[in-house]
Parts: sequence; structure tokens; C-alpha cells
Amino acid sequence: MIGIFPLLKKELMEQLRTYKLLIVGVIFLFFGITTPLTLKYLPEIIELAGGSGFEIAIPPPTGVQSLQEYAGTVGQIGVLLAVLMAMGSIANERKNGTAVITLSKPVSRAAFVNAKIIGTTLTFLASLFAASLFCYGYTVWLIGDADLLAFIGNNLLIALFLIFCLAITLLFSSVFRSSLAAGGISLGLLIGQAGLSAIPRIGDFFPGKLLSWGNSLLMGESNNYWAALIITVISIITCLYFSQRFLSHRDI
Amino acid sequence: MTAIRTENLSKYYGPIKALDNLNLEVPDNVVFGFLGPNGAGKTTTVKLLTGFSQPTHGRAEVAGETVGESNLKLQSKIGLLPDVPAFYEWMTGRDFLRFIGEIYQLPAADIKKRSDELLELVDLEKAGSRRIGGYSRGMRQRLGIIQALMNNPRVLFMDEPTSALDPIGRREVLELIAHLKESATIFMSTHILSDVERVCDMVGVIDKGRLITVSTVVELRKKYTRSVFEIEFIENSKPFLETLKKIHWLAEPAIVVESGTPVLRVRALDVDRARKELPKLIALSGLTLTRYEMGAPSLEEIFMEIVSNGDKR
Repeated sequence: MIGIFPLLKKELMEQLRTYKLLIVGVIFLFFGITTPLTLKYLPEIIELAGGSGFEIAIPPPTGVQSLQEYAGTVGQIGVLLAVLMAMGSIANERKNGTAVITLSKPVSRAAFVNAKIIGTTLTFLASLFAASLFCYGYTVWLIGDADLLAFIGNNLLIALFLIFCLAITLLFSSVFRSSLAAGGISLGLLIGQAGLSAIPRIGDFFPGKLLSWGNSLLMGESNNYWAALIITVISIITCLYFSQRFLSHRDI
Repeated sequence: MTAIRTENLSKYYGPIKALDNLNLEVPDNVVFGFLGPNGAGKTTTVKLLTGFSQPTHGRAEVAGETVGESNLKLQSKIGLLPDVPAFYEWMTGRDFLRFIGEIYQLPAADIKKRSDELLELVDLEKAGSRRIGGYSRGMRQRLGIIQALMNNPRVLFMDEPTSALDPIGRREVLELIAHLKESATIFMSTHILSDVERVCDMVGVIDKGRLITVSTVVELRKKYTRSVFEIEFIENSKPFLETLKKIHWLAEPAIVVESGTPVLRVRALDVDRARKELPKLIALSGLTLTRYEMGAPSLEEIFMEIVSNGDKR
């Protein structure tokens, strides 16, 4: 992968200077902080709002409930953010011509694609780490204890699933010159696989099952989906491989 | 040494022949002007020669390297200025040159030195610290030129290098190109004929994907020198016109009025003979000669003639 380091440095600078890191970080942090806060203070919030005239009995929240809600939200928002972040990363470079200047230098197509996924992944990991840290801290402080190891495992599975979302979007970003087309098709496929992952047995092989696995960890259940994990890793590698092959064979 | 060599290089998009059997040899250290109207195949050729497009058939060698999919050795020996150079808008000019220098694995000190030299060369020293997003089109063009020079390329491809520049910028870039040929071969695609006349040593004319002619600018002028002679006298030239009508190696003698002045124009069927004999005939006529000129076409006229004929001469 000749040229990976300057390309990665450029990607990281881009994440910072174009506020991508800030935007993803702030969105993740928002959910990391507000989820335990909302759960804890929901009865007070309803009361302050004047109530509805009916008495609603809200059971006291648990630590597991807080972490589960956070994981569910980050999983959904993360998919959208991953598609939005990656859909133009190659397509726009091809469309506006920056790819021509960069690829006219001695850098391999593999380095070009991998620098992009590594740069974007680091943004997501940093944001996820910060948000999860706040979420866990507030949960333990305000609501009650929760299994840290299970939460770490859950986050790792979410991270892997988001990398899969980035990889699939990058693949279509290298196929199409239109970022909208890349984003639309990627989102369609991701929604499709989420639907398929809900089907018993067959669904155990889809990357979407990683989120269910993460949820099971938080609940202390022993369900695991190793097949989905292996298929996700293989899918990521396959997407990156074909992404650089598309770039090599198509007119830039 | 040959800097660029192509053998039957072709690129078809379905039934459309964007480039058809290009056979070309460009020697080292020349400025090669690749001329053609819009859509002739110039940019396709540049893309093929720089590895950004794969040929339908045929092959090409640039700087001793076979052009092909991801040939990084080739990329390290060439420079490319695309027709519309695009940059990462959030970078400054210096950031961009540093990025390019790092790709070429130059030491940091060398990158700084080279960047300073190049920015000065194109008068962007002050703007170098500003974001590229705020650059004018001319500034982008100049940055595009120097990013292509960062590695001291052996072959430099420039696609319409002066199209976005004002007259002063154009003059400076052409001077730069003329200077660069000491160390590099420059393949310059353009449709601006005055640029070609000014800096190019060799010219290739392409139209509808086919190379029509390759020549030096001097040879091209010689080859396409018109066989038309223009003669002006103080006196009435009608009697002399009658004389010329009887001469078999001349054709179409006529008096035309140019800017109010009658000019006797005649086409030579045998140019060499006309060059020798016509002055003698003028002397024998007894008329007072004020102008005697052999039509020297501009490159634009030659270009139009080549493209409209579409034949190899």
C-alpha cells in the first residue's frame, strides 16, 4: 500500500478541519449524555410539563436499560452518519477532480481506499469512545451499576457494524460518481440486511445481528453470533478489495 | 531518447472512437503541442498516457515505463496538470505541496525548500498560506502547475495549461514551459494556437480521434506554405494580369481589392518555378512594384486547413 501514510495524514487532517470529527463527536456525545439523563429525570420532566391529568407509573430505570437505549440509538444514528460520511468520500473526489491529481502521484488505489476507511473509522471510534464513556459514567452515577465488560463488548460490536456500514458505502462511492446514488444504494442495502437479520436462523448470518449480540451481552444472555461476526469481517475486506479494483479499472 | 511512444493506442466507447490507432513518438526535452478542436481526443490521450484510462487496444510507453494499471514507477516519473485542476479546498497552498511532497517521500526540509521555490516561481508566496478555497481560477491553475513539478518529472503532461489564465498569466506560464524543457519533456494539449506557435518545438494535430499530422512547427509552416502570390503595383496591373493568364504554371490570376488597394493575386501550380520566374516577369513588365509577397499562413490557417482536409500530407 504505497503512499498510505501521507494519505492517512491527509484524511485525518480533513476529519479535523472540515469539522467531520466534531460533528460526529457531538452527535454521539449528545446521545451518550442525554440517554441516562432522560431516563433518570423522565418522571420530573413529565411533571414539569404539567402532566396529562393521569397518573403514570414509571418504574425506576436500571443501568442495563440506560446502556441498552444508548446502544440502540447509537446503532441507528451511526448507520445514517456512516452513510453520510462515506457516500461522497470517493465519488466526490472523482467528480470534482481531486482524485486525478492525487492518483497521478505514486500512490496505490488500495492506499487511497484504505486511508479513507481508516480515517473515517478513527473518527467514529473516537466519537463512540467518548460518548460511551459519558454514557457509562452518567449511568453509574445517576441510575445504578452496570456491567462494564458487557458494555465494552457491546461497543466493540457496534464499532464493527459501523465499519461494515462505512465499507459498503465506500464501495458504492467508488462505483458511482454521484454521492447520492452511492448513499442511496448503501442505505437501501443496509436497511435490507437489517430486515433479513430479523429472520430466524437465516438472520444469524447477517451483520445486523451484531447489534442483537451486543444487546444480549448487556442483558447477560449467552446468545452469540460468531457467524455474523466472521461474515461482517469478510464483507468489510471484500468491499475494500472491490472498491480499489473498481478504481483501478474505471476511468478516473 | 524517446519520452513518449504509442503503438496503435485506441480508446473506444461503444461505437465512438475517442482515439483511433494513435502512433506517436515524442523525443526527450521538447515541448510537444497536441492540437485539436474540442472533442478531438486530446484529453482522452492524456488520460491514456497517464494511466487514468485503459486503452481498448494498443500500448504506450512514457519515460521508459509501460503505461498500465497502477504503474507507480511511471507515476513517480511524470507530472500531470489536468484541464481543470481541483484541490482539497480546506488545505492551504503550502499544505497541498507538503502533501504532494510527502507522497513522493521527500524529506521535510526538501519539501519546504521546494515548496518555497515553486510558490515563488508562480508568484504565490503570499497566497501559499491561504486556504485554496479562496483562490481564483488563475491561482488554482498556477498551483496546479507547480504541484506537477514537485518531483522534477521527466515527462510533464499539461492539459490546456493556459486556458484559465489572463494574458499576463499566460505569458508567464508559457515562459515557464519554455524554461522547463531543459529538464523535462512537455506534452501540452491545447486548442490555443498562439501558445503552440510560441513554445512548441513539435506539433501533433488530432481530429475525431485520429492523428492527422506530426511535425515541427517550422516544417508545418513550410509544408503548408500557400502557393498564392500577392503583387501590388503603383500603376494599373490589368495588362500584367493578361500576361499572367497566358502562363501555364500559374492559375486563377485575379485582381482583388484589399483595404481599397487593388492587389494582383495568382496561384502557382509549380511553386518553385513561380518563385524563380515571377520576379523576372515583373521586371519585364516595366511596372513599379510596391509589394511582392508569398502567402505565409498563420498556424490557425494551417490548422483549419489540416482539420478540414483531414488528410496526411
